[in-house]
Amino acid sequence: MDFVTLLPVFMFLSLALLLFSGYPVAFVLGGVGLGFGFLGMAFDVFNFIEFFNIISRIWGGVCENLILVAVPMFIFMGTMLERSGVANDLLNCLQVLLRRVPGGLALSVTIMGTIMAATTGIIGASVVMMTLLALPVMLERNYNPSLATGTISASGTLGILIPPSIMLVIMADLLSISVGTLFLAAIIPGLLLAVIYIIYIYIRTKMNPTLAPPLPDDMGPNTKIELWIMVFRSFVPPIFLIMCVLGSIFAGIATPTEAAAVGALGSIILALFNRRLSATVIKSVTQRSALTCAMIFGIFIGATAFSYVFRSLGGDDLIHHLVDSLGFGSWGVLFLMMGMCFLLGFFFDWVEITLIVLPLFAPILATLDFGTHLDPDMVIPWVAVLIAVNLQTSFLTPPFGFALFYLKGVAPPSIKIQMIYKGIIPFVILQLIGLIAIICFPELVLWLPTKLLD
Amino acid sequence: MNAPYDNLNTGFTKTLLQISLKLEKILSFIGMIGAWCALPLIGIIIFDIISRRFFVLGSTKLQEMEWHLHAALFLLALGYAYLKNSHVRIEVIREGFSIKLKAILEIIGVLVFVLPYTGLIIWFGIEFASRSFALNEVSSALTGLSHRWIIKSFVPLGMTFLWLAGISVLLRNIVYLMAINKNDEDVTNVSRSMSPELHDPTEELVKAAKNKELI
Repeated sequence: MDFVTLLPVFMFLSLALLLFSGYPVAFVLGGVGLGFGFLGMAFDVFNFIEFFNIISRIWGGVCENLILVAVPMFIFMGTMLERSGVANDLLNCLQVLLRRVPGGLALSVTIMGTIMAATTGIIGASVVMMTLLALPVMLERNYNPSLATGTISASGTLGILIPPSIMLVIMADLLSISVGTLFLAAIIPGLLLAVIYIIYIYIRTKMNPTLAPPLPDDMGPNTKIELWIMVFRSFVPPIFLIMCVLGSIFAGIATPTEAAAVGALGSIILALFNRRLSATVIKSVTQRSALTCAMIFGIFIGATAFSYVFRSLGGDDLIHHLVDSLGFGSWGVLFLMMGMCFLLGFFFDWVEITLIVLPLFAPILATLDFGTHLDPDMVIPWVAVLIAVNLQTSFLTPPFGFALFYLKGVAPPSIKIQMIYKGIIPFVILQLIGLIAIICFPELVLWLPTKLLD
Repeated sequence: MNAPYDNLNTGFTKTLLQISLKLEKILSFIGMIGAWCALPLIGIIIFDIISRRFFVLGSTKLQEMEWHLHAALFLLALGYAYLKNSHVRIEVIREGFSIKLKAILEIIGVLVFVLPYTGLIIWFGIEFASRSFALNEVSSALTGLSHRWIIKSFVPLGMTFLWLAGISVLLRNIVYLMAINKNDEDVTNVSRSMSPELHDPTEELVKAAKNKELI
């Protein structure tokens, strides 16, 4: 092989290397794409006019795309729920409800992570949010720091998997499958993980109550009526909202984009209901969500430029060739891809991984064949869910674990990184159990979509 | 309100910072226009859902308006997000860098990545939009929106704002480097305070989270 056929390889390596300079991913992607386009021109394998096609790709893929309109809407909804204190109220309410259960606070955090999955745009931000919200309370109640930090990081990252998740919207778009199908496919695996977290926390704290001292009984409202009012004010509305959003997608009443807008409107109404809707709140929510959107779509645009040049230089063929020559078969390719995503997950958030790696692998995904293990039509949703769980595991795995660093960054100095590592290991094991279960029993993923979409 | 550089008396650096801040103000304004698109976007989608129940109008126009607003939203905010340091970075190695090195890398980054890359998209984007204008392009759907060139021009426009954001970041980092070379503490502090990309990333996240008034 000569230099020119290996250009895509160098292109990928330069990208990996330059990303570690810490310059924004969106611009490095675009810049490397441009640079290798020019390099390709020097070797007569790329034509200047081809850059024009990049604009058409950006236009068709990112702008003129009704599915992706769900992304700003879900981001708006999540930011509004967070900013208007709905998330905070929910956590308080859960604490009161679970005050007599062993490990009640930890369980509250897990349940909140499950319900508030919508607020999870970016892993870093959501782990920071959860840590600031829950860690001080847990430490104050003398929770074991390892248990506390483990619970927070695992629950804080669960949101990328549990619908409505922005990551699933983007994955569905990139893999040309329906968002509704992917949402449905992710529900059982997501809830499965949440449930095994809950079982683990319950058993562990039951066996060793010193890890999680019970909360005082007189905590929260004094009378039953007040308690019910609290439940109806803080617990029911967000759950109702998420149910409406998901329900309308699954029932086929609304497209994901429409449901997301309903969710955004609902979040505004909830804020109004909580008397927290002011001009300042609206302004800061629109501002924050626009910045997040710009970040995601900036990478989307950069990745479009990068992968166009990468393909044009023969990168696709090269990957195909490489995968073929390895002779791994479908299972081997699947594990290779999972391994790659796992390694990348040490350093990158899901945004970069899905937008850079998924387009490269999408053509190969379509050729995978698992025989009778699962329905060939459902291979792509299954693989997408596997990648999602895999990524979440990777964010949690020491010593790199992306989520752990963010947690350490905002935790009080008394929390040592060793405590965090120690606390997360059980959760990583639980994640692996979940992952293996999904690999061995594809029905966990496929049962709901096939049942509901027939 | 006083600008952060008001007390500085060094002429040249002051001018550079003035330009940088001026650009930031303009781009923030434009970014916020994009941000506000979210509200009509919600409104239009909801209107589409409700109106469809009552009269079969065909919601093609509304749906096209939806992605028009979506495109305007993020394209107008791209540059603003750079100035606010909202574009995600891989911090693993960078967090160990000195601020001086961060500033140098930022300058190289703007020169090598942002300016040429956005420049190219602007160049072809103008052609992209003007073709649409010349053809008087309308929606491919029969009942869609006309004047497709308007939204298509947002591609080069958004990239122009990103290009300008790059210039603004470039200037403030150059001033910072000049100031530390001259041991000019005032200018160093001012230019550093203007550059969120030189701050500690986790500190920024905590600040952002705390601004949500949750804690």
